[in-house]
Amino acid sequence: MKSILRLVLNGRTREDAVSDRSTLLDYLRAVAGLTGTKQGCDGGECGACTVLLDDAPVLACLTLARRCEGKRVETIEGLAPGGRLSRLQRAFHERLGTQCGFCTPGMIMASEALLRRNRNPSDAAIRDALSGNLCRCTGYVKIIESVKTSAAAEP
Amino acid sequence: MTAAMPGFRLVTPRSLAEALAARAADPLARFLAGGTDLLPAMARGLVEPETLIDIGMIAELAGIAVDGDRLRIGAATTLARLQADALVARHAPVLASAAATVAGPQHRTAATVGGNLCLDTRCVFYNQSQWWRRANGFCLKREGTVCHVAPTGTRCHAAFSGDLAPAAMVLDASVEIAGPGGRRIAKLCELYRDDGAAPLCLGDEELLVALHVPAASGWIADYAKSRVRGAIDFPLAGVAVALRRSGDTLAGLRVALTGTGSRPFRLAGTDAEIGHGVDDAALERLDKLVQKQVSPMRSTMTPAHYRRRVAAALTRRLVRRLFAEAAQPPMRGGGATAPQSEMKP
Amino acid sequence: MTGSARDHAIGRRLPLIDGPEKVTGAARYTADIAAPDALVGRILRSPHAHAEIVEVDVAAARALPGVAAVVTGADCDQTYGVLPIAMNEYPLARGRVRYRGEPVAAVAAVDAATAERAIGLIRFTARELPAYFSADAARAPGATPLHAGSPNNIQREVHHEFGDVTAGFAAAKLVREATYRCAEVTHAHIEPHAALARWDGERGQLTLWTVSQVPYYVHLMLARCLGVAESRIRVVKPFVGGGFGARTETLNFELVAALLARAANGAVKVELSREETALTHRGRPETEVRLKLGMAENGRVTAAACEVVQRGGAYAGYGIVTVLYAGALLHAIYDIAAVRYDGYRVYTNTPPCGAMRGHGTVNVRHAFECLMDEMAEALGLDPFAVRRANLLAAPCTTPNGAIVNSCGLAECLDRVERASAWRERRRQPAPGRGLGMACSHYVSGAAKPVHWTGEPHAVVNLKLDFDGSVTLLTGAADIGQGSSTVLAQVAAEVLGIAVERIRVIANDSAVTPKDNGSYSSRVTFMVGNAALDAAQKLRRRLIEAAARLLDADPAIVECGDEVFRVPGGQHEGLAFDAVVRAALGEAGPITTSGSFTVPVAYQGGKQRGGAVGATMGYSYAAQVVEVAVDQETGAIAVERVWVAHDCGRALNPLSVEGQVQGSVWMGMGQALSEETRYEDGLPLAANLLDYRVPTIQESPPIDVQIVESVDPNGPFGAKEAGEGSLAGFMPALANAVADAIGVRFLELPITPDKVLEALAKRRRELRLAAARGAA
Ligand SMILES: Cc1cc2nc3c(=O)[nH]c(=O)nc-3n(C[C@H](O)[C@H](O)[C@H](O)COP(=O)(O)OP(=O)(O)OC[C@H]3O[C@@H](n4cnc5c(N)ncnc54)[C@H](O)[C@@H]3O)c2cc1C
Ligand code: SF4
Ligand code: FES
Ligand code: FES
Repeated sequence: MKSILRLVLNGRTREDAVSDRSTLLDYLRAVAGLTGTKQGCDGGECGACTVLLDDAPVLACLTLARRCEGKRVETIEGLAPGGRLSRLQRAFHERLGTQCGFCTPGMIMASEALLRRNRNPSDAAIRDALSGNLCRCTGYVKIIESVKTSAAAEP
Repeated sequence: MTAAMPGFRLVTPRSLAEALAARAADPLARFLAGGTDLLPAMARGLVEPETLIDIGMIAELAGIAVDGDRLRIGAATTLARLQADALVARHAPVLASAAATVAGPQHRTAATVGGNLCLDTRCVFYNQSQWWRRANGFCLKREGTVCHVAPTGTRCHAAFSGDLAPAAMVLDASVEIAGPGGRRIAKLCELYRDDGAAPLCLGDEELLVALHVPAASGWIADYAKSRVRGAIDFPLAGVAVALRRSGDTLAGLRVALTGTGSRPFRLAGTDAEIGHGVDDAALERLDKLVQKQVSPMRSTMTPAHYRRRVAAALTRRLVRRLFAEAAQPPMRGGGATAPQSEMKP
Repeated sequence: MTGSARDHAIGRRLPLIDGPEKVTGAARYTADIAAPDALVGRILRSPHAHAEIVEVDVAAARALPGVAAVVTGADCDQTYGVLPIAMNEYPLARGRVRYRGEPVAAVAAVDAATAERAIGLIRFTARELPAYFSADAARAPGATPLHAGSPNNIQREVHHEFGDVTAGFAAAKLVREATYRCAEVTHAHIEPHAALARWDGERGQLTLWTVSQVPYYVHLMLARCLGVAESRIRVVKPFVGGGFGARTETLNFELVAALLARAANGAVKVELSREETALTHRGRPETEVRLKLGMAENGRVTAAACEVVQRGGAYAGYGIVTVLYAGALLHAIYDIAAVRYDGYRVYTNTPPCGAMRGHGTVNVRHAFECLMDEMAEALGLDPFAVRRANLLAAPCTTPNGAIVNSCGLAECLDRVERASAWRERRRQPAPGRGLGMACSHYVSGAAKPVHWTGEPHAVVNLKLDFDGSVTLLTGAADIGQGSSTVLAQVAAEVLGIAVERIRVIANDSAVTPKDNGSYSSRVTFMVGNAALDAAQKLRRRLIEAAARLLDADPAIVECGDEVFRVPGGQHEGLAFDAVVRAALGEAGPITTSGSFTVPVAYQGGKQRGGAVGATMGYSYAAQVVEVAVDQETGAIAVERVWVAHDCGRALNPLSVEGQVQGSVWMGMGQALSEETRYEDGLPLAANLLDYRVPTIQESPPIDVQIVESVDPNGPFGAKEAGEGSLAGFMPALANAVADAIGVRFLELPITPDKVLEALAKRRRELRLAAARGAA
């Protein structure tokens, strides 16, 4: 069954016809055409699909699209609105927090959620916040560095 | 092979009555809370509901409040909220520390108390794709006739792997259940039975409404979990301990376990330790008690004998630590193991 | 060339040139490519481990509305495989299936649900054959061969002996032997496999977008399996989410996507699930290493004898190379005069193994460094001292004919010994805590390519156009390791221009020159040298033009910071753009082509298989691992790692650090938690929950020291950085655990259950010994 879903996606209100069984990940990639959010597993195991739902990090692959009715959804594409990298994105770029880049959108969104709650996270807080995101390239060392750099940088 | 999500209808009731009516109307309906367990199961064809009843918009299932001499936690409360809630930190910090060990932060944003308590049991021969299970001839738990874990047996040994249940059990918690016949309250321990294929003593049309945690003055509690990785993994064994200390002896001791069998359970026989100190001999006795009562089977990649041993080891460690901590004056500001103060309405 | 005080493009901590795309979500991976008209492809996989195919009845599937194409083994009678001498796999099984998960048929339909329904309608009938899930079972007398021509299911035996091994053991003060078992591991790149194929029926042409590390191989295999001329095929590699060796070989789904697209006369997207990605595998085989070492009193290794058995899985794949590598890389790290190697690659009814980061060396290095440590202890020697007693003196030629031109291992040892405060810490042991170390090495590209065509090993083209931009065209696949960035740096360094002026276009066979691909860490060295060559040619043209404008001798004109000048001359210099205009004035846009070929001298010893393991530049690494072992739960925590890696000149230290950290960390996964496991051939861990890739929680700080031995043949002296430090982690960890609790583990991964088991066993033994002592 399809019905109209209304939500605020990266700051813009949208209305789309969405089927009950669509996950938020399906919706973002196939309906909204935002392919920055990745699918890395068969459901709930990798964190690659992390997006923000009303500022909180969720797995888009385990969220039914229709449950986002009236909410704010933010994806990696929403972080650099003026075409300039956000602080966090710049830190991931400059500190090599990204290698192949496949885990990166999820990693950055989980970090973004953390930094909105906690402007100056400890290593332990960063580890906690990113513990649901797998990366196979970096060994996480430079990911932690990236988040710390971003937190330390002037706003 | 992996499947597109099967078709279903999503309904979003605004009241408990509507939810129960929707459930009664469709025998193939399921309640959807955070969906972090149900949706992956559906993607693998383990559950094929025709209707999902979203219970996230029902006011009665939400919120945490002190109600008389107990803490009432709505079933739809998320684990993230449980971790951060001030009332929980004050009255039942062990629930927060157990919640913090569940999966990853993104799961906990969505995952709920009710979903965690009603979690399906798990098994390496079961939590696999449809293709995989068919290639393996299915199994007792669903669509098949044999159990690959215990082929000569007649029951399923899939492991209950929720982290919250033991923590709530050592607080002597109860659950409030609503069903076609009205409301009932049951001890949390009574929610579970030792059958991996049907682990819950909950009618199909019944719904968990809230968790009730009674006031527990003077008790101190914590939860410890064994897993291979530092996050994401389900417990190989999870142990919650609550104890009361009086001078140099135990005045009360409760131990509950998860991950070591088809149901979470309260360890029997701990009362025998009351009046004793916690010395090596006592810890050894507890170790034996745990090893005797847990029943891990070959349902995980990690061997069963390890789960048995580590359950005992975690119990020993936790009892030793909490007993020592109980001798100290209460810390300000709580923390997972801070003694719980009395609840006042 | 680099003497002057200008800004350098190499040696800089330059962020990846494609980083902005990755951090904004703009990077398009294969699954992200918009193809609204594409059909959805799905694959039917064998439920049987070993069976004769009786029938694949697709009539009902074909008849289902919405199904555009169904293909089976009948649609392709050509084998494929990465080694021209060992191609024994069909895109879709013919005759027999040999592992659970092997593709049998495939469907293209209008949507996923229809495709899945169609898959469900295919009737696959087969007669079961005896199946083997361990190398021992497959090799047992009377076992049914998986393949004709391999009667004992041994795909390849290797027997090499260099020097007098018997005499070497006789001369030793201490001889020890041990058998190590390493579980099978897999790449687990986070991007699942995917391919998009588009068949142009009008022209009879195919375009394939895929996740490959070596699009060139895919191109060859597509031509072979489809029976289409290579000229009618175009292969494009979009962004790739990691490879680690999995995507070096052409993989069945790539060919299946193409077969479906042709059959449907349109576009087909095949996206594999995580489970299917795991079934496609090609990871590091389960390996048994029986190792015997002889050691003199001073720690010198007098002889080594090593027997390796690899459970290779159902098809040949890279098997021959893997088993040869394992023997060859016993050499070229230490100076050992006598080495015997016996290797066996065995067919089993499990998904095929292949190349995985540190291809061939990893499990053997693990055994070697563990046994060395144990023997050092027995002789009362420090682990560092034992390694130092066996250092190679470069330049030298090893007994198996490999040439080592540069070796920074001694410095690696010094650096990690100091950084970890090894001596102080080892003197103050703490209960349950331990420190261990190990060394490792790797090749900078296989000296001899798999496809021996006589062509150069690497080609890079540069185009300079009216706008002053330089476009670098390469077929080398950037899979996240940063190869495009390094190539841009090399070219910019030669040209004396800003890296930003260079645009890299990689991996579109319609545009970029053929490349042998991203495997065996060849890109920086070989493709880097080709880029160097192309840039030098372009530079010459520009210098000539500048010399004319400056009225100077080209030999003394230099370019730096995008200015051409005569050092010490009157003229303030010419801007790059001005020189470009002058240079283009003659014949328009300039294209130069650079190439690189490994000289024959470096292509290894004369023995059969001698080319494998030979390279122009070996990288070296040493590392120290600190652990804390929880003796109640058996959990091992890695507290910290110090690693030093000799990568020759570090063209991009930031990238080198990232590569080394990633390698070491991947070794940690293999050491502690990762393991595929099969239940009668069904993978128990074909997901990211049971296949335990470490999370950020248990991942330690990894301190990287870069050692620059400066290789005479590498581009600006560079060697590889992306694999060499992996193999040292597991032995360093095992040695640290031994230091912490006195138990030496012979099996990987060292999971908490094994630790508890071993501790319990030791307690029993101690009790027994005490009882005996008392009696
Ligand atoms: C990768 C991964 C790792 C995980 N790791 C852990 C872990 O370490 N520990 C752990 O405990 N869990 C883990 N989980 C499981 C799950 O995320 C949590 O248990 C979570 O708390 C489930 O809650 P939910 O609200 O998402 O449940 P749902 O998925 O919504 O529901 C689960 C089940 O409970 C039923 N249900 C839900 N609410 C009610 C109610 N109020 N009354 C009656 N029935 C109800 C549903 O019908 C369903 O059958 C993991 C999951 C994944 C995908
Ligand atoms: S324990 Fe047995 S019956 Fe239960 S899920 Fe596992 S294999 Fe199936
Ligand atoms: S895609 Fe892996 S968690 Fe969502
Ligand atoms: S950068 Fe490749 S998975 Fe994280």
